[in-house]
Amino acid sequence: MDENPALDAAGAKLGLLFAVRGQTVANRITQAVRDAPLRLAAAVLLIGLIWMGLYGLFRLVFVQLSRTPLEATVAIPLVFNFFFVAMLALLTFSNAIIAYGALFGKAESPYLLTLPIAPLDVVTFKYLECLVLSSWSLILLGLPMMFAMAATSEEPMFYLFFLAFFLAFIPIPGAIGLLLAWGVARFFPRRATRAVTLATALALVVVIVTALRSMQPGETATEVWLRAFLTRMSFVQSAMLPNNWVAAGIDHALHGQFPVSFRYLGVTLANAFFLSWIAVRLVSGYFDGAYDRASSGRGGGRRLAAEASGGPAGWVFFYLPLPLRLIAAKDLRTFFRDPAQWSQLTILFGLLVLYLTNMPTLRLEFSASGWFLFIPFLNLCAVSLILATFTCRFVFPLMSLEGQKLWLMGVLPLPRGRVLLAKFAFSMTVTVLVAVGAMSLAAFMLNLDMVWTAIHLVVTMSICFGLCGFSVGIGARLPMFGQNNVARIASGLGGTTNLLASVALVAIVLTGVGLATWQSKYLAANTLPDARSLILCAVAALVAIVAGVMALRVGAKHFNRVEV
Amino acid sequence: MTDLVGDPAIVLAGVRKSYGRTLAVRNLSLEVPRGELFAFLGPNGAGKTTTIKMIVGLLRPDEGYVRVCGLAIGSNGVAAKARLAYVPDQPFIYDKLTGREFLYFVAEMFGITTQHRDRKLNTLIRRLDIGEFLDHLTESYSHGMKQKVVLAAALLHEPAVLVVDEPMVGLDPRTVRSVKDLFTEHTRGGGTVFMSTHTLEIAETLADRIGIIHRGELIAVGTLNQLKTQARREHSLEDVFLQLTEVGDEGVSDG
Repeated sequence: MDENPALDAAGAKLGLLFAVRGQTVANRITQAVRDAPLRLAAAVLLIGLIWMGLYGLFRLVFVQLSRTPLEATVAIPLVFNFFFVAMLALLTFSNAIIAYGALFGKAESPYLLTLPIAPLDVVTFKYLECLVLSSWSLILLGLPMMFAMAATSEEPMFYLFFLAFFLAFIPIPGAIGLLLAWGVARFFPRRATRAVTLATALALVVVIVTALRSMQPGETATEVWLRAFLTRMSFVQSAMLPNNWVAAGIDHALHGQFPVSFRYLGVTLANAFFLSWIAVRLVSGYFDGAYDRASSGRGGGRRLAAEASGGPAGWVFFYLPLPLRLIAAKDLRTFFRDPAQWSQLTILFGLLVLYLTNMPTLRLEFSASGWFLFIPFLNLCAVSLILATFTCRFVFPLMSLEGQKLWLMGVLPLPRGRVLLAKFAFSMTVTVLVAVGAMSLAAFMLNLDMVWTAIHLVVTMSICFGLCGFSVGIGARLPMFGQNNVARIASGLGGTTNLLASVALVAIVLTGVGLATWQSKYLAANTLPDARSLILCAVAALVAIVAGVMALRVGAKHFNRVEV
Repeated sequence: MTDLVGDPAIVLAGVRKSYGRTLAVRNLSLEVPRGELFAFLGPNGAGKTTTIKMIVGLLRPDEGYVRVCGLAIGSNGVAAKARLAYVPDQPFIYDKLTGREFLYFVAEMFGITTQHRDRKLNTLIRRLDIGEFLDHLTESYSHGMKQKVVLAAALLHEPAVLVVDEPMVGLDPRTVRSVKDLFTEHTRGGGTVFMSTHTLEIAETLADRIGIIHRGELIAVGTLNQLKTQARREHSLEDVFLQLTEVGDEGVSDG
């Protein structure tokens, strides 16, 4: 066979992997421009709007801070410190998730492993790809911040330094994430998702508890409190943490002290390269073994999950007729057996519960000031937005996924439209149980009176109704049949439509309740709201229910005649 | 390509593989010489795909070793894989590449010169009848179309060892005939084909030797006539397969 000796050169196959990825991206863009120019334009427009919004917000903060030079000297490095420490945590987590999927998933990795490529080339390629995929959010958030910062600075070199610090910082969480992903595959192959979920939940709990502890009872938003708060959070500014190098470097660049800034940039770059080198070498050296363990370990723990979910699935939907009960119970079992679903719901509401149970430590004296309704209202906002996230991410794809088994639905002695009812019953049951539980806890912790508790619970249930109706109805009207990936279904055209509709619905309902809350702000605790407030809340709840019913009807009509 | 000519194409020696507590393959020893078409049969869950994944280096044996053309797949993976081609039952293709772009990628990956690639590709396009859709994105392909392109990619670099898992699923009868002919020509040219299949007729007509795996154990290896003798059956491979795997079941339950 004729062979090309040039390919024996080191890195030649790495270049080939990048070339093929570049080709797929080019084809994807060509396809998007040709087939869906409006969608592409809408995406670019939305990104532009987000950037402008963020720019405005950051600029407001920095202009405000620069008016008081003394505070600015303290606060601006602190803002950067917190920003980059948050980014360090978020990017480490997202890199770990992306790297795990990229290296140990079932798509491209097994294919590459059968080709004559050295593991070092595969891991290097995947690592660099993960850096790009995970850091776009940092760029999205960071660039408007950079421009806002630069607008308040007179140093033209500032842009270059800021960008250089960004790029130098990104590989640090990337390398940690890569090592974490490899560690999970190597040491927790049978419980990879569960291990990542538990580690994340634990990390979040530690962060929340630390934050809550930093707000000690009795302290109010005064200089004393601020000083005490900064002292408690001083560990964030440790000289050993990369967020501190970046924050200090940017701050020095902002004040024109470029030699010092350059030194910090050197420290950041050296650490980024060193960590990346260690991570890539270690992971590629033991890649085959870790891949083998990740592949061989899959499939454990099913029996326990079946027993745990089989019981409740049978009786939770007692109120449904048998065929619908079977479908809803099947969805509940799937929910319990998919850690991505139950863990996200648990984490979101777990954090909410943690916050709610810690509310007394905040010592908010709202009951005396007549503003006692605003904290419960903000709780309602938080619960509603979490619900919208959950329904858009997990309820919306249900119909698309069911579409792949439409032949099964087609041969069942059941009108197809009733499948929607089963999906609706399933999602409504799960969301109502969790959301009403959280809102009841919030009302109890705040000692909210019975009338407002009842109002909030009714509104919560109506929001559940509307959001579930939207996700199931729009899911049936704009499905993505043939797609197994839940994330892709949720981020497609139908998913985006559902997200926008859900956010709009939540905004409308909360506006109604917000107006009623505003109207009642001067009422003393345990006083009945006036008729206008009650009507506003009732109308808000009714809007959610009517919107949900309409979405379900539209979805059922389309689903009845759909052909797959 | 430099090759260790004296060594068998595939050697599995005392190979064992488990998934947690489930033993998928136990003490499997097998040699497949060069130029042979070996059919690997077994009921669902018998350990066929696990064995194949160990041959191509996707999984590591817990015990024993695997060699391809004399090269250990574990410690000399890149060199061994350069002599291998693998067609899985669920083929992977980059969905945002055209079939032609994918084939060019594979050709470059195996270091084939442009001239040789074009010459070989023209033959494969004609034999597998893929010319009509080769310049479309592969995301629009049916399973059979994908299977044809992946087969073309596997044969493009004229591998010493071709490992295929259920190669005929989703192919039309004309393409099945072409694939059979391509496999036969490949072995006549000195290449080896290791084929897992449930289609006993294909194994019966194509294979030089047949191996039957059942519950992770290789319970029979030999030519069709040798297997008939072992099973004391004079009829088809289907009878032989059913007889041997039934005996295997009895053996396991007795044990």
